[in-house]
Order: sequence, then structure tokens, then C-alpha cells
Amino acid sequence: MANKKVLVVDDEIHIVHVVAIKLRNNGYEVISADNGAEGLKLALRERPDIIVTDYQMPVMTGAELVEKLRQHDETKDTPVIMLTARSFAIPQEQQDDLRIAGCLSKPFSPKELLGNIEDILYQKELVPDS
Amino acid sequence: MRLGRSLYTAVTSIVACSLFIGTLSLRRNSGMEEGWCLAGYVQRLPAALVCCLVVAMGAILLGWYWVKLARAVASIARLFQSERASDVGAGTGVLACLRLSEMHKLCQTVREHLDHCACGTAECERQIKDLRIQIQLSQRREKNTEAIIHSIRDAVIVVDEYDRLLVANEAAGRLFGFDFRNSQHRPLNDLISEDRSEFADLLSHSRKSGNRATRREIQLSEHGEQRTFDCIVSCAYDQDGRVCGVVAVMHDITREKQIQQMKNDFVSHVSHELKTPLASITAYSEMLADGEADDEQTRKEFYSVIQNQAQRLNRLIEDILNISRIESGLIKVNKEPVSLAMLIEEQMQMIKGYAEEKNIEIIGQKPIVFDQVYVDKDMISQVIVNLLSNAVKYTPSGGSVRIQTEVDDVASVARVTVTDTGVGIPEDEIGHIFEKFYRVDANNKQAKGTGLGLNLVRQIVEKVHEGRVFVTSRVGVGSTFGFELPLATRQAAGIA
Repeated sequence: MANKKVLVVDDEIHIVHVVAIKLRNNGYEVISADNGAEGLKLALRERPDIIVTDYQMPVMTGAELVEKLRQHDETKDTPVIMLTARSFAIPQEQQDDLRIAGCLSKPFSPKELLGNIEDILYQKELVPDS
Repeated sequence: MRLGRSLYTAVTSIVACSLFIGTLSLRRNSGMEEGWCLAGYVQRLPAALVCCLVVAMGAILLGWYWVKLARAVASIARLFQSERASDVGAGTGVLACLRLSEMHKLCQTVREHLDHCACGTAECERQIKDLRIQIQLSQRREKNTEAIIHSIRDAVIVVDEYDRLLVANEAAGRLFGFDFRNSQHRPLNDLISEDRSEFADLLSHSRKSGNRATRREIQLSEHGEQRTFDCIVSCAYDQDGRVCGVVAVMHDITREKQIQQMKNDFVSHVSHELKTPLASITAYSEMLADGEADDEQTRKEFYSVIQNQAQRLNRLIEDILNISRIESGLIKVNKEPVSLAMLIEEQMQMIKGYAEEKNIEIIGQKPIVFDQVYVDKDMISQVIVNLLSNAVKYTPSGGSVRIQTEVDDVASVARVTVTDTGVGIPEDEIGHIFEKFYRVDANNKQAKGTGLGLNLVRQIVEKVHEGRVFVTSRVGVGSTFGFELPLATRQAAGIA
């Protein structure tokens, strides 16, 4: 999966940092933002292959970010993995509506996140229109 | 005795009259024939005497019966007048002496009748007494029931089988806007406005369905504020089991709902706040364990992150525990004379790095002569750092935070204020800002938080140090948070 571009959006700088190191160590290009609004701008400009975003963020939440991504042709099919530290899981209905590819609860394992990213990108390559 | 004298008088009168009549008879006879003549008189004397004797005997017999009759009549009269059984008995005794069977039977009948009447009267009197007691008890119960219904803070409404109002208390009148004292027997639909028809429909539906109890949450606006009521509607049944009315009790659960929501928000926030540093610790530990940190510098950086996040986690837990300890009065307080200026200087240094990250200027205060307060140093340091970090958190990049101390000699207090150029707080939310778990909706996206920091500030200042917290704010301009503490001199005087 070398040369694939991943956008990481989280207001926790340490989480962004550790995810970036893990992905870079495995050949990914990583760009990052610390809130949803910045993430949206970056996504529209950089067109990442996959987006990893936190759910609860200031300025614009992860759910609001995905909602906006789906409104733009450039990002409407971009797979999104949601990280959440909420006490309640994101409802399946909301996941389906926003076409969220995967959810991971904090604390999460960087290895598990990497595995999810690879699986999603692999499926996307097999079925490019999905 | 009176009767005896009457008898004696009557008999002697009759005998005397008889003798007088006999004498006159003798004289008349002699006068007609020869005038007064002793020989004629003597010749007719026996016949006259016999005549007189017969008349006298008849008179005596008549008198005797007259006396007996008089006694009997007197006894009957006494019987009728007597209210006591003893008198009746005495009467019957006299009658028995008379041996007049008719009178005796009459007296017996009268006595039985009187006995029966006396029993009936006593029974009636007893029943009347019982009824009076029952009426009094019933009136007292009614008053008690009314008093209970009217003293209930929940709205209580009772309607009959035609949905006409039977009973309503003051709370119900206030909630639905009708005069609860003068609205009896009026249709409920006439008493409540259309925007509250959901309640009337619920009552009507419950009555028709005949369900013993129905429970539903109803939203109603009161004084322009939306409130939630837990409405319990119960049907009342008559002896034949038919619904004869409906009782509705409406309990205002707005506050409970708010608290529940705050608890849910708190759990959600705390969960997020706990999981976030934990996520960093877990991720960095795994990276170290997997050898993803190539060089010594990276490894040191990872260890440092783990350490900082562990400390962050500890602070959060300490905040929660401190509030709990202060509230339960179990916190250990070590008060000593402390200079506020020195404490502020120390906390400014701590917050400086965070402010620089956000490009926010921290403006300190000028030194003041005497600002010693008698406080727990760690707790007041916590107050200052909470106020400073909040100010930095909610101030956009390029803004400033100013901290000042002043001494009010008149009130004998030291006053600390922290003024920012941040987002500000809406006026209607300022009153809640020091409440536990409370977060300003509009500022939720601005920064994360648990809603515990300001509550901890108030608990420490007001509950532990008998001071006062205050806040002023304007949306888009900024906020000023502050607190007052008694000067050490006043505290010392108080202690002495």
C-alpha cells in the first residue's frame, strides 16, 4: 500500500503523532489536521485515499466532517475510519448514513488501525467504484 | 288524707241531709192534718228513721265508689304524667288495689306502649348521636383530604365520567391557568387551552380504555419555559366496576431530566477525557514494545508522552475525587498564611507554555504591599490554574489573559480577577457556569472539558475558605472570573 495518502484528523496532537509514525513506518504518506474544518479543507485539496478522524473535536466534529465530505464530488467516496472515545458506540444507522468504513474505540492499537486501513484500501482496489 | 276528709264530709253531709229530709216529712204530715203533735210524731218516727237510714247507706256506698274512682283516675293521671318507670309501677300498684280489670289492662297497654316508646326514643337519640358523629368525621375527613390535595406540589386533577372537573388543586390551576376554586363541574376542555389538549386527550383516552393506571411524559410550557411532567392517570370505578372518573397527578420532572442529562453528559465527557490520555499511553507503549521507535531520541519522546498522559489522567481523577471529598466534608485542609501574588506568579509560569502554544499573552499584576490570605496553598493554586487555563482555553489565538490582585481594606478581603478576550458566555447561561458538569453549549466546540474545573473553584473558595466567586461576561468580548478571600489579619482575629 505504498504511496497511499492518509489524512489523520484529531485535536489530540499525540494521537496524530503516533498514528503518523506508524503509517509512515509502513510506507504511507500522512497529512494531518487538528479539527474538522481544517480536515475538510485538506481533504478537498489533497484528496487522500483514506481519512482517519476522531469523533469528538472542537470547531467541527468527526460526524459533521464526514457529512460535509459526502457533499463534495472529490471526497464523496473517500473511505473514513472513525476513532471515538465516547462512552456509547456510534449507532449503526449513523454509520450507514455517513458510509463510515470502520470504527475504532479509544484506546486503540496502532497495529489494529493499520490493519483496518490496509483492508479497506485493498477492498477499494478490488472494487474501485465502491 | 285529703280523700278521707272529703269522704267523711260527703257521708256526714248526706246523713244530715237525710235526717233533715225525714224531719221535714214528719212536720209536713202533722201540719197538714193537725199541726205540731208529739203523739203523731212518735207514731211515725220508726218509718222516718228507716227511710233516713236507707238514704244514708246509699250515700255511703256512693261515696265509697266515688273515692275509689277518684283514686283510680288520679293514678291514671299520674301514669300519663310520669316519665319514670318507677312512677308507672306505682300507678299499676294502685290500679291493682282497685281490682278493676279494665283499668289494669288499660294500664298494662299504656305501660307497654310507653316502654316501647321510651325504647324507640332512646334508639332514635342514639342513632341521631351516631349520625352527628359520622357527619363530623366525614366533614373532618373531607377537610383533611382537601388539605392534603391542596398541599401537594404536584398538579392533581379529578374529572367525572363526562370529563367535568371535580377536584383540582392550586398547582393544577396554576399549570393550566384556571381558577381551581370556582371551576367545579365545568368541562375540562373549557378550562385548559388548546396547546395543552394532549393532557385532556390523555384523560379522555384513559377513561375510555378503562386502564387502571397510565403513565406518560408530557411536555408543557410554563412561563415560556418548556417543562417535562411525569403524568400518572388512574381510573376510578363505581360499585358495578364502571369507570366513574379519572384522577391525574402531574409531577414536574424537568429538574430530574436536566440532572439525568448532565450525568449522561458527564459520563460521556469523563469517558472521553479518561480515554484520550489512555489512548496515547496504549499507542505509545505498543510502539515501543514493537520496536517502532528507531532511535534513542524517539524512544525518550515516547516515554515522555506516556508520562505526561499518565499525569493528565491522574489530574482528572484527582479533580473528580476532590469535588467528591469537599462535598462530603472529608478533604484534609492545611491552611497557612500565603501571599496571593506569589501563588499567582507560580501558576502563571505553569500556564505559560500552554498560552504560548495558542499565541495568547498572559499579563501579570503589579506587586502589592500586603495580600496575605490564610488558605490551603495547594487548593488555591488549583483555583488560580483552573481560572487561567480556562481563560486560555476559550480565548482565540492572538488574544490576551490578564490576572490582577487587589486588596479591599474596608471589606478586609483580597480579590483576584482573571480577564480574557475570549468567546464569552451567553447571559442566560452565566448563572449555571459554576454548576457541576455544566458546559456552555455554544462553547462546547471551542474546547473540550468535563465541566468540573469551575465547580471545583467554587467548592474550594466558598466551601473550604468561606470566600466568594463571581463572573461577568459578554459574548464575543470576553469574560472576567474572580474570587475573594478573607485577608489573613481578619482570619487571625477570627481565630483568636
